[in-house]
Amino acid sequence: MKRFKLVAVLAASVVCSAAQAEDSVTIGVHASFSGAGAAFAEGMLAATDFAAEDVNKDGGLEVGGKRYKILIKQYDDRYRAADAVTAMDRLMIQDGIHFVVGPMGSAAAVATKDQTTSGKVITMTLAFTPRALGADAPFAYRPVITTGEFSDPQVALLAKNTSAKQVVSLLPNDETGQQIGVANFNSYAKAGAKLQVEYFERERVDFVPILTRILMKADGLELGGNSPTTAGLILKQARELGYRGPVFVTGGDVAAEMLKVAGKDAAEGVYVHLPIDIGLPDTAAYVTRFKAKYGQNMNGFSPFFYAGLQMLFTAMKKAGTVDDTTKIATTLDGLSDVPTAMGKAGWTGQQKYGIKHQIDLPFYVGQIKDGVVTKVATCDVNACR
Amino acid sequence: MSMDFILAQTVVNGLMVGMIYVLMAIGFTMVFGIMRIVNFAHGEFYMIGAFLFAILYGSNGMPFAVSVLLAIGATALLGLLMERVVFRRFRGNELNGMIASVGVALILQNSALLLWGSSARTVPPVVSGVLSVGGIVFPWSRLVVIIGAIVAVVSLNLLIGHTRIGRAMRAVAQDSEIAQVQGIRVDVIFPAAFVLGVSLAAFAGVLMAPVLSVSPFIGLAPTLKAFVIVVIGGLGSVPGAVVGGLLIGLIESFAGTFVSASLSEILQFLVVIGVVLLRPQGLLGRKEREA
Amino acid sequence: MNPSTTKPMSYAAVAVAVILAVLLPWFAPNQFYIHLATVGCINLMLVLGLAIIARAGQLSMGHGGFALVGGYVSALLSMKGWPPLLTLFIAGLTAAVIAAALGWIILRLRGVYFVLVAFAFSQIAVLLALDMSSITGGANGLVGVPPISIFGYVLRAKPQFYPFALVCALATLLLTWLLYRSPLGTMMAATAENQRLTESSGIDTHRVQVIAFTIGSGIAGFAGALSTHYLRFISPDSYTFWESVSYLTMLVVGGRDGVLGPVVGVLVLTPLPELLRSTEGLQHIIYGTMLVLCLMFVPNGLASLVQTWRSRQRVARTTTAVVAEEVT
Repeated sequence: MKRFKLVAVLAASVVCSAAQAEDSVTIGVHASFSGAGAAFAEGMLAATDFAAEDVNKDGGLEVGGKRYKILIKQYDDRYRAADAVTAMDRLMIQDGIHFVVGPMGSAAAVATKDQTTSGKVITMTLAFTPRALGADAPFAYRPVITTGEFSDPQVALLAKNTSAKQVVSLLPNDETGQQIGVANFNSYAKAGAKLQVEYFERERVDFVPILTRILMKADGLELGGNSPTTAGLILKQARELGYRGPVFVTGGDVAAEMLKVAGKDAAEGVYVHLPIDIGLPDTAAYVTRFKAKYGQNMNGFSPFFYAGLQMLFTAMKKAGTVDDTTKIATTLDGLSDVPTAMGKAGWTGQQKYGIKHQIDLPFYVGQIKDGVVTKVATCDVNACR
Repeated sequence: MSMDFILAQTVVNGLMVGMIYVLMAIGFTMVFGIMRIVNFAHGEFYMIGAFLFAILYGSNGMPFAVSVLLAIGATALLGLLMERVVFRRFRGNELNGMIASVGVALILQNSALLLWGSSARTVPPVVSGVLSVGGIVFPWSRLVVIIGAIVAVVSLNLLIGHTRIGRAMRAVAQDSEIAQVQGIRVDVIFPAAFVLGVSLAAFAGVLMAPVLSVSPFIGLAPTLKAFVIVVIGGLGSVPGAVVGGLLIGLIESFAGTFVSASLSEILQFLVVIGVVLLRPQGLLGRKEREA
Repeated sequence: MNPSTTKPMSYAAVAVAVILAVLLPWFAPNQFYIHLATVGCINLMLVLGLAIIARAGQLSMGHGGFALVGGYVSALLSMKGWPPLLTLFIAGLTAAVIAAALGWIILRLRGVYFVLVAFAFSQIAVLLALDMSSITGGANGLVGVPPISIFGYVLRAKPQFYPFALVCALATLLLTWLLYRSPLGTMMAATAENQRLTESSGIDTHRVQVIAFTIGSGIAGFAGALSTHYLRFISPDSYTFWESVSYLTMLVVGGRDGVLGPVVGVLVLTPLPELLRSTEGLQHIIYGTMLVLCLMFVPNGLASLVQTWRSRQRVARTTTAVVAEEVT
């Protein structure tokens, strides 16, 4: 009876592997295309799509005198750990893929870590968990900047600029939320302020009850870690309750959507994390390109994956191989000041994760004034200036 | 913020959320009472109503009243279609009808995802400003939701209590065979009840869209709430749905304000277990006839 | 359903199927197939658990919740140093005890209430796993769950784990089959058929349903634990409402009546997501459509088609025999 299953899967694999005739490298995209995280998954796929398009336009990636076309294969992990393992197995074993953009969620990253390490597959994850990187995972990279990187320097700057001492934070009760809650708590403690973190269920869209309670004795509101819409909703509801204190959003790419949701008045004076600087021509071009192709606003993480792939391609060229992932990883580790769409990129994280696999890019702090975001500081992992 | 303010705020908020739950639960309980179908897809109609309103009013700038009517009308049509194609076959077959509704929920939610994308949308506020009563302020955006929901519940009550179709619905809910014998056209009453239930869900979605945000995944949470409410209030009982809805809304609001958000969910579950143990037919439910 | 499987032909078919399943690691082109087969074995156990509950005329929308409980219990105990082989059974037992308590309260109610409360229970289980982060690791879940080891032989890699999963699945299958043929199984089927009539013949149908719910949920707890030791990871997202829905889909599509139905459902629906893995949302739409279409046109599941085909053949054979007799 197991044969039915075999036949079905066999048929699928024949269809899938038909496209591998010429010299090519396939990049897997492993993310949650269905479910609540779909917007992130689409951002990751778009980045891979653009990176492949750019390389293929010039006739392919030139490695060791040969030109390789970049192909893409994306699988949905349905935001489930078990499916993440299955999808990763399929990418690695069935499709023989060595490079994966993903996994997307922290659960997926953690659940597939052993698999990708033993299969020597280079991964570029979005997972915010510190456990996604480590000396025990020499092929796992993270091309996005997480709370671990940006919260300390940003919070130090904000604590200096305002007099907030009792800050409250509302976060979704999921892996990212809990992660950010802990990181922010520590950062605020270092900056001499107390952060009270309150978690809410992911489906919740009405925050008034929680806000009523926690805003009573707060002189600062931290919204970093929420989706742009949620951050906007919380801000709107907090202002409706009469809260007039300072608001910080130390994470995400929220400014535009938050302004739309909460309105100009409610957003006045809010400090926001700016992951990208659209003052850079390449970054601005990426944003425009995304909007032109997909019609909706870009997911803030998308250009990071594009930058990560630019670094990967550079490493492949330099290493002169498209199969030997050990050699490629070693080369990738040694890269610094690589020109990408996001500026010059390198790797950091030795101290924090025990391995230099965390992308090193500048990030920014902005403040909303009269409906416009103005950059007030440029930061790296050490400090904001 | 003073204690008075917080208390008043908590009550208003509990009423707002509670009234939305009431709208959801009434539709759900009506469809069950009349068709004997537990509709797991009920929340998806709420989602679709909210989405259509967001598109018409928010993105295309259509007039408010037109957007409301079109959003509810289109959702009602979709409900009619679902009743015709799927649900009518499962009348009276509780188990299969329920499973089929799970299938419909899967189809509707993921069609919305494919059609409208995954990112959350917001609708510009319909009203702004606050109402100030004795130093306590209430945002109008929330009061409008409460008022709208009360109007809907009152009109529904009039419809059920004082019109021919309403009386027919009550008769079918009590016993569809006897109703049929008395010359009530059951094949009209079933779709009418289903469409009415779906429209109430869509109306709840329309009311909430400007206050909260809209995405393909907002349907499951109110469905769960509707379940809890009808178990508390009594399955098939409309007054029970009102009482249960307000109770759950207030529990949510008070627990969220004074203790923590996740405690309120656990508290609701305990209330359900308590009701099931002490008064299995629900607070206002009829005892099942021994037939 | 069952009478047919007692025929010698059917015994042969079952034997061939089991042998094929056992030999899978040798003829599978690569480990991915073994992985899928392992997932299929775990799914089969969960669906069988659901089938047992359905056999007594109930439907559990909280099946995933019991798998989640089992997964966490086994993960936590084995991470404290308990042998996983033992914690698997403790996990099943814990889930069964919770089901017995919950079932005793809610199964006095009519079917629909039971479904709603079981559904609410699974939501609470997810919530508790999220909130008690000092024990459960919160949303991040538990990483590094120890692999199962049998007398020092560690089941870490896929080819080693698969035989164990297969044995567990086959054992569950056998148990279910025996249960259906036991007096209790007959009482369960009678309860589902007509609860009031069964009750009037002196059978405590409430007890029968509680027992079925307890056994089915216990199996779910065991399977959830098994899966946790296979993936060596569990998080609150591992078993949500949509997992419960997918087990239900497998059961309905395969067929609710016997043990063949769950097997068919799992065989059809475990590989199905693979065909559609590259598409967004579409696979859920197809799942939903299959569910609805099956209920409309094959309400007894795909396994019932085999049944119909067989009985038709039997009828045909008898007719031929009759005709032959008349001729002579």
